[in-house]
Amino acid sequence: MSPLDSPIPYFPVNDFGPAMKGMVIGGVGIVHVFLAQFAIGGGAMLLYFERLAQTKARSANADRAASPEAMRSSIEPNARRFVDGFFPVLVLVSFVLGALTGVAIWFTTIEVGARTIGLMIDRFHWLWAVEWVCFSVEVCAGYAFYRCGKQLSDATRLKLLALYAVASWLSLFFINGILSWQLTPGDDPTGGVWQGFFNASFWPSLGFRTIVALALGALAACVVINTMDLTRDERAALIRRAARLATPMVAMPILGVWYFAVIPADSRQWILGGSIAMTMFVGIAGGASLLIGAYVVIGLVVKRLYVSGATATLLVALAFGATAAGEFVREGARKPYTVRNVLYSTSITPAEVAGLRVHGATAGDPYPLRDADRYPNDQLKRGALVERALCDACHTMHGANALADLASTWTDEQLRMNIAKLQKTKGFMPPFAGNADDVEAIVQLMKWEIAGAPPQWPTTDDPKQHALIARWLDEAPP
Amino acid sequence: MIQFLYLATLGLHAVFVGYVAAGTVYVAVQAVRHADDPIADATRVRLPFMLGVGITAGVAPLLFVQLLHQRRFYTANLLLGPRWMAVVPALVVGFYALYVVKQLPRWRVAAAIVGSACFAFVAWSWSELHDLMLADARWAEIYAAGERTFIGAGVAARFATFAGGMATLFAAAACWQSHGPARRLAAIALAGRALSIGGGAWLVARGFDATAAGATWPIVLVVATVADIAAWAVLAATPRRDGALTAATATGVVVLAAALVVREGPRLALVEPDHPLAAGAGGAVAFAIAAILGTLAIAWIVRTVRTVQE
Repeated sequence: MSPLDSPIPYFPVNDFGPAMKGMVIGGVGIVHVFLAQFAIGGGAMLLYFERLAQTKARSANADRAASPEAMRSSIEPNARRFVDGFFPVLVLVSFVLGALTGVAIWFTTIEVGARTIGLMIDRFHWLWAVEWVCFSVEVCAGYAFYRCGKQLSDATRLKLLALYAVASWLSLFFINGILSWQLTPGDDPTGGVWQGFFNASFWPSLGFRTIVALALGALAACVVINTMDLTRDERAALIRRAARLATPMVAMPILGVWYFAVIPADSRQWILGGSIAMTMFVGIAGGASLLIGAYVVIGLVVKRLYVSGATATLLVALAFGATAAGEFVREGARKPYTVRNVLYSTSITPAEVAGLRVHGATAGDPYPLRDADRYPNDQLKRGALVERALCDACHTMHGANALADLASTWTDEQLRMNIAKLQKTKGFMPPFAGNADDVEAIVQLMKWEIAGAPPQWPTTDDPKQHALIARWLDEAPP
Repeated sequence: MIQFLYLATLGLHAVFVGYVAAGTVYVAVQAVRHADDPIADATRVRLPFMLGVGITAGVAPLLFVQLLHQRRFYTANLLLGPRWMAVVPALVVGFYALYVVKQLPRWRVAAAIVGSACFAFVAWSWSELHDLMLADARWAEIYAAGERTFIGAGVAARFATFAGGMATLFAAAACWQSHGPARRLAAIALAGRALSIGGGAWLVARGFDATAAGATWPIVLVVATVADIAAWAVLAATPRRDGALTAATATGVVVLAAALVVREGPRLALVEPDHPLAAGAGGAVAFAIAAILGTLAIAWIVRTVRTVQE
């Protein structure tokens, strides 16, 4: 039988050793988000500084490439040096690496949750294609400015940078709608595409990401300005200009409250105390953003302080930490779904769970175990198949978020009941998508692993236990 | 519509990555020979940009293939697993190697060889993935064995076919761009065509059905290839004839289009039926508008750059 014949799409499952899959996608995703947002903020920064360079200079030298004399009459004499200096290279590198890590995200998402990315492609492929068009314009404009910027007239420079900035922000606009849909798809996840795109968390999320992009651009600019061969006063003047683009950070608390208000109540509950790990990460993201925002607004803009290259680099690192923590929370808040009410983190739809409760979690799984010889009996082999199908997306057996560690102190009865009533054991777990034999098989597998995987292990076959597990499953319907 | 967009964007992607892959090999060969070569000089400068655009252009076919062959594409990705994902670090290394080739003469030979190896690895991996997508009867067995490579019957032949195509694409682009010796580029183009023909014949001998998309396309491919070879032969004999280069370019475009259709032929019958969500997904009008505006914007950028360069 071809794996394509299975009505539920089963995909081959890869193991990443002690790393849980969330760490793999998180590692790639956070780097990509950081680079991509910097490329967007960097574009806005270049446009702003070019505008500064041409203000007043234009009257002295209209429509021609600005001469050094004309530049000296600009309201910000060194702005042009910044625009033509190291910063465009940084932006260029970030958007090339951003593109490559974007491709990496696609491949990694397939590794971690092929069905989820497939669902998103099905739903939003045309808008994803629009995002690609925007990104293509961004890349062409960026390269053109990098290659020919110094030879262009003032007006053309401004147009090219405006095109870059707008195209890069539009790519954020479109990808934001697709990503925010995962958590707040609305009452009808299969409804019109624009209804899904402009979902409840679209606007606060877009506002937040835009502000983060501007702040990253400003902070990176402060680092670059410190490397320029200027006097301290000249650098201070440029830093004050750059810092202005980070001042929208003052709106972050409002957007944060708005975001929390529109996400599902249970997700909000996990974030605000229900899950201490998520609460701590929210605290880290919020605290780091507060520190950066306060430093920029109070220190640089109001008090007109100077920021050294070392401090600016530290702020960029802090911003990376805030981005990482924020992305962790955004991903975690979707539990137990990858697309709310549509697909569980196990890549099973709510409608499919009922069928799997009858026929078993792995009855249709066409892929055999890679290490079947490791298991002493068929029940453990079945347990390994169930673990691969239902647990492996978020857990490992002995590594990160390990099943063996989580359940090592549980009694046999606890194991059976907690797994059978999984969504009642912990609210961010999906319902168990298998039958009583599957529950017993994975219970035995976990006990065997906790015991150190001995070469002999008895098979259990107690009708009373089976009936009890079946009753618990019935008490926790999908 | 999706199939057309897939093929069109794949063709666009092929032009850029063909230039990069074959161009890097050419630069590597000339660097090893320590040759003072205007073609290599011009190519070195353009390679990073061409790779950036090539990767960007590659995102679109990557998107559309996930609609046409979702389960096959994802399964092949997963079966090759981390070995498949190695294409991303290979591209990163290759990209920076191109900058080293461009900026640091001292490291040029090593960087060009590293870049060539990276791009060859990526091209080979795509050939492997393509064949593995079609081998669904063997997926379970491959998974159980934990194999991370798929040396199917057609992988080497497929790779040879496209490597030849890349060489010809590079020759055509370089001919338009540089003032170097067109005779040498014509020789590269003809060698590329020979390699493609050999690879194609090998594929057919291995059971590839060239007529799966209809009997017309292989005929178009053969006729266009013959015309293309003739145009390049004229260019090799009389290198200053712009008409021959225009003809070679025109026939090259037809060869590329026909080759892509013939390549996809066996997969046409395997295109997945519309998924419920995909069938009802809106946004096509938004894409059409964006495509028009984006094309206009890019055309303006190209015109601006050309004006400056002239």
